[in-house]
Amino acid sequence: MSTEQEQPRIGVSVCHCGTNIGGFLDVPAVAEYVKTLPYVIYSEHNLYTCADDGLTSIKNAIKEHDLNRIIVASCTPRTHAPLFQYTCESAGLNPYLFEFVNIREQCSWVHMKEKEEATLKAKDLIRMGVARANLLEPQTEKRVDVISKALVIGGGVAGMSASLSLADQGFQIYLIEKEEELGGMVRKYYKLTPSNIDALEFIDNMVNKIKIRENIKIYKSSIVKDVRGYIGNFKVTIEGKSNENLEVGTIILATGAQEFKPNGFYEYGQDERIVTTIELENKMRIKELDGVINVIMIQCVGSREERIPYCSRICCMTAIKNAIYLKKEFDISVNILHNEIRVYGDYYEALYRKAQEIGVHFNKFGENDKPKVLKENGTLNVEIFNEGLGRIEKYPADLIVVSTPMVNISDAESLSKMLKVPLGQDRFFFEAHVKLRPLDFATDGIFLCGAAHAPATIPEVITQGYGAASRAAIPLASGYVQVEAITSHVEEAKCRGCGRCVEVCEYKALELAELENGRRVSRTNEVLCKGCGTCVATCCNGAISMMHYTSEQINAMIDAALSEKVGGGIVG
Amino acid sequence: MDNMFKPRIIAFCCNWCSYAGADLAGVSRFQYPPNARIIRVMCSGRVEPRFVFRAFEKGADGVIVTGCHIGDCHYISGNKKAEERMKLVRYLIGILGLEEDRFRLEWISASEGQKFAHVMTAFINKIKELGPNPMFGKIEEGTECQQ
Amino acid sequence: MSAIDDLIDDTGAYDCVECGKCTTVCPVAKLDSNFAPRLIVVKALEGVDGGLAQNKDIWRCTTCAICSNMCPYKVDYTEFIRGLRGEAIIDGFEPICSQGGFMHTIARILSNQLHQDRLNWVTDDLKVAKKGEVYYFSGCQAHLNKIFKEKNVKVIDIARNCIRILNKVGITPAMSNNEVCCGHDLNWIGDEATLKKLMEINIKAIKTAGAKKVLFSCPECMRTFDFDYQGFAGDLDFELVYITDFLMDLVDDGKLEFKDKGKEKVTYHDPCRLGRHLGIYDSPRELIEAAGFELIEMENICENATCCGVNAFVTCEALSKTMQINRLIEAKNTQADKLVTACPKCLIHFSCAVWKEIPVEKEKVDIPIIDLISVVTERI
Repeated sequence: MSTEQEQPRIGVSVCHCGTNIGGFLDVPAVAEYVKTLPYVIYSEHNLYTCADDGLTSIKNAIKEHDLNRIIVASCTPRTHAPLFQYTCESAGLNPYLFEFVNIREQCSWVHMKEKEEATLKAKDLIRMGVARANLLEPQTEKRVDVISKALVIGGGVAGMSASLSLADQGFQIYLIEKEEELGGMVRKYYKLTPSNIDALEFIDNMVNKIKIRENIKIYKSSIVKDVRGYIGNFKVTIEGKSNENLEVGTIILATGAQEFKPNGFYEYGQDERIVTTIELENKMRIKELDGVINVIMIQCVGSREERIPYCSRICCMTAIKNAIYLKKEFDISVNILHNEIRVYGDYYEALYRKAQEIGVHFNKFGENDKPKVLKENGTLNVEIFNEGLGRIEKYPADLIVVSTPMVNISDAESLSKMLKVPLGQDRFFFEAHVKLRPLDFATDGIFLCGAAHAPATIPEVITQGYGAASRAAIPLASGYVQVEAITSHVEEAKCRGCGRCVEVCEYKALELAELENGRRVSRTNEVLCKGCGTCVATCCNGAISMMHYTSEQINAMIDAALSEKVGGGIVG
Repeated sequence: MDNMFKPRIIAFCCNWCSYAGADLAGVSRFQYPPNARIIRVMCSGRVEPRFVFRAFEKGADGVIVTGCHIGDCHYISGNKKAEERMKLVRYLIGILGLEEDRFRLEWISASEGQKFAHVMTAFINKIKELGPNPMFGKIEEGTECQQ
Repeated sequence: MSAIDDLIDDTGAYDCVECGKCTTVCPVAKLDSNFAPRLIVVKALEGVDGGLAQNKDIWRCTTCAICSNMCPYKVDYTEFIRGLRGEAIIDGFEPICSQGGFMHTIARILSNQLHQDRLNWVTDDLKVAKKGEVYYFSGCQAHLNKIFKEKNVKVIDIARNCIRILNKVGITPAMSNNEVCCGHDLNWIGDEATLKKLMEINIKAIKTAGAKKVLFSCPECMRTFDFDYQGFAGDLDFELVYITDFLMDLVDDGKLEFKDKGKEKVTYHDPCRLGRHLGIYDSPRELIEAAGFELIEMENICENATCCGVNAFVTCEALSKTMQINRLIEAKNTQADKLVTACPKCLIHFSCAVWKEIPVEKEKVDIPIIDLISVVTERI
């Protein structure tokens, strides 16, 4: 299908998004204005364009008005473009002839008190969209075969769950674990709640299930050294007992987290009576608690403050669980000092109450009144300002447990670069979308589960593991993926063959090819090309164009944004 | 208030970070002035100096290019290349006689909705201070030779 | 009468006898048999194509004027192309420009009389004045310097060395922070309107400086003042002098002397604007020899000099690079130590051709490319 010679016939659907847009800008006026724009044949406004009737209306409009471009002005392309593109396609319109204008996240929601200005802005934005739509060209997506094997990085609960799930679906799995044994963080725990099961027993159960699967190959004491390729065709080098090159279609990242070592907090590391939660778990396992009568747990050590601002989510539950075991199994008195206990859900609330019932003490300290650990004649005492009583209280301690947050593993940065997946503000791995793609990375073919994303409980981690496995299985099962149509393209007659674009491409997607006459020109490998457009910006004589983000389109948007003083400028 | 100056701002946002940051600002309902018109590109590395100058030529009062934080570029280093290219923009803006503050380069991640709103507010306020694009504002006669 | 008809009249295109001499000498046609200046003119004459302005070939001509120069009937093809481009713009076609039209955008911005800081490159060792009889027009050299920094071209050296050499002979040139781009590149993409705006600003800046003589180190600026400004604004009341002519007068008067630094061999590339457009062939050569260099000529010189490949930052394509490489091979074949040119644009285009990947063995084009003023300034 070619629209090259066709005049654009544009249809525009402006969405009210209930009151999300409609409540903050004058949608009917916007839809009316749109009709005055060049090549706009049809304009409508819907309560919800993404609802069935909205989509049907687009399809009908394409047919009735012989439209060859569709613009939806609603939310963000990052979440809804595929839906509308699919709608266009089902009405026979190439999905790349669809243009998205964001008037919710970037207009109505951020200018909620300026209806008039927001309405003008929406008009401007749609005018820019129309200018771009005029120049859109149909694109075809290439198909790439998928190697139906997966790599799971990390053999903790998350990675094992994902591996089992994928193996059950019949795919070959490579499971990489950097430690000598599978099990990850949980291996370091004593007993788990609510099942009261020994952590090692729990892990062994999982490991045994993994071991009997013929289609899971385990690489212990191994790390990922290099990742190349793209969805469907990753080439992974692993380094361990033996170095191997693996070829896989998808990758699940389940590298977990680690406990923050509170060096510099409360003489940790200098006095062995001050331990972290995981060190306590170990002491309970090896029954190394002789002579301990009083345990004081201090929550939020290192977290919820400047350096690590987030709540690590699981420390309160873990502390309560451990307090109960200490009390019941070791007959040790426990005092948990906290800046608000954060337990959630029925079960953990009940656990909190149970701890209180059996006599675990809870004392709250203020954010700016952190407990002080005092060493007096070799004895440890903890001083805390009791807010309820309005006075300082002092408690003796034989063992002080500092609850520190989970942080990302030390080699997260290098993995992030190797896999081309981002880290968030908290330095944990960052998903493609918090609500819509919580287990995906923005990079195709790579998925995320477990504590690598954020501290999580075991049930949550298992759920995520299963979820990531099902996401990763989609390309494996279908056997192919559609590759982005948005790639760069070199016009050979223009290319001077200087090779600068080859240098700037991080994906090695460009190379200098020799023509029959000996002339060398740059060429794009469309499968490797990620469509960033850096090469285009580099080329001095415009020999490279970026499909779907051409210079002409960008220029047209700039011009359209500034062509009318509808939105901004000096209005007299 | 009719004659109040309403700056026209062109903002280039990269699909993966700053555009998502702009979305998050929306989801979080962080309010900022309605002067920016966002042009989405896949990467800040796609933004060429000529786009910035075209925007000024056509009447933009300010141009802001935004991308992922250095080290976090979805395309590994596109933002570094943008940073390099934008040095030329800054230099040329200076010698051409457009105020340097009319151009800004910012790194905003997908999780920094608040930062997006702050940056936009600050930039728009700065442009309000500077007044209209001098090409479209009043021309002053007889400027002095610098030498 | 249509605009195209006017153009045919003005450029003498009716006189075309379709001999094809223009096509024979055309540097683009030599490399692409589908391109022919003759055909463009013939199409216009016969009204074959009402949308001649849509013809992409009008953007591929380098306007080097070798065709106009060779035409036995003096048809001004170059001017004809310029006119067609103007028509194309009026019809709403975007010109096909290298750098995506970046240079042209900058020139348009300059036409708005902003508070420039265009002389920031004038270092303390260089003496310039706000007013004076001798004015030095630096044009776009400051911008070009930064834009082409990546390609190892130091355009600003030309301007600095011009001032240096003038200071040496006791002249403190007047310069103005208010001067702007001459508008050459806009003129050659058919934007006459902005050219006129730039012209007014420049004339005013020069008059304000009280100049009687304006020196140029860029042939494009000189051509634009001489032909286009005087075409629109009538005779200018200051004299336009190319720097090589000016310096040669000083040499002849014994006021400028060069140190003997050995017989270095150089070859000289005639810029189209300086040579075929302005007819200045001798003074650059004389200056080179006066500075003590041995001048070795290439095969194609003066009226026959081959083009540097691109003009006015219009089309830059694979073929342009071939032109540049061929010219560099020609230069290298002279066995000269340096290739000297007298135009900042030629300097940029040749330097660009050997930047990074070179399509031929490096030895074939391995010759330093340097501007005339810088090369002679080394010897003052």
